[in-house]
Amino acid sequence: VQSPGGFGSPAGAQTEKKQRSRSQNIVPCTVSQLLAAEQVDETFRICDVEISQVTVVGIIRHAEKAPTNILYKVDDMTAAPMDVRQWVDTDEAGGENVVVPPGTYVKVAGHLRSFQNKKSLVAFKIMPLENMNEFTTHILEIVNAHMILRKNLTSALRAPPAFPAGISDVGSFGGGSSLPVNGLSAHQSQVLNLIKSCPVPEGMSLQELKLQLHSMSMSTIKQAVEFLSSEGHIYSTVDDDHYKSTDAE
Amino acid sequence: MGDLQEVARPRIAAGQLAQHIGQPVCFVGRVEKIHPTGKLFVLSDGVGKHTTVELSEPLDEEISGIIEVVGRVTNQATIMCMSYVQFREDKSPFDLELYNEALKIIHEFPEYFPFG
Repeated sequence: VQSPGGFGSPAGAQTEKKQRSRSQNIVPCTVSQLLAAEQVDETFRICDVEISQVTVVGIIRHAEKAPTNILYKVDDMTAAPMDVRQWVDTDEAGGENVVVPPGTYVKVAGHLRSFQNKKSLVAFKIMPLENMNEFTTHILEIVNAHMILRKNLTSALRAPPAFPAGISDVGSFGGGSSLPVNGLSAHQSQVLNLIKSCPVPEGMSLQELKLQLHSMSMSTIKQAVEFLSSEGHIYSTVDDDHYKSTDAE
Repeated sequence: MGDLQEVARPRIAAGQLAQHIGQPVCFVGRVEKIHPTGKLFVLSDGVGKHTTVELSEPLDEEISGIIEVVGRVTNQATIMCMSYVQFREDKSPFDLELYNEALKIIHEFPEYFPFG
């Protein structure tokens, strides 16, 4: 069976019966977890939990601009700084090619890579933190995500474990198989699930979302879309009204 | 002392300094006071406990608000600072109490938030 290039999942039945907790979401991680991830063929696992797309929050220690990419070293204190590479669009002027200065706290969304036994990230989004409480939230999301993902390996899917008092809840999920690993609210996960289910290349428009989500106001939908986009779950396509999920379905 | 950036620096609260004597740590706190010499300052953590941070060179700038210090814990349970950054609070104040709660969680679940 010839597997397609790029991100398509291989055709044909999955022959592996081995139980795995496949994360189709973006998993928040520490640099130490990424460094410890084991690679088997094309996949990475942290304690048997499969990961691919991750988010990391850390401070930029070093930034080096090359013609086609910017190489950052991002430090979250859990290990040595990690290499994060961001490919720049050489055709696009302004915006995307601005180098984030060292000393800035950022949230990175990207794919884990390993080359000659050295781990690095290829970032599709690097966002300077404007509100440092996001850094604290990321810490909590990491513990929550890895706890849930690992527990799902050993038992049937069940209600998420109760989170320690004082922290707002992870968010309920109306049906579907999504794991509540990213601290999304009910509105955000509804919007995300709709966007994920959209098969067309240009993605789902805000108008279509409003049509399908009768009870949600346009401003609530826009807020959800803005949040999901900043977290790296979705990206805009033909214009700012159309979005696709970053998950490779 | 060398550059601590290449190793894990556990995030701790003031109450944990004693358990990390001689070790690299990362401490986040609010500036309470700065010594006139500029070679030492005091930070408070999310439960109001104070920590003394020492510098090998005096401060060359005013610091205030929330500071994140990377350094090594001395025998006196102070922190010998290697580097520091100020958290931005221009758009939103930093919730230091929430950060303290997060520290409790990462210390309760080191298997989900490993240092090193």
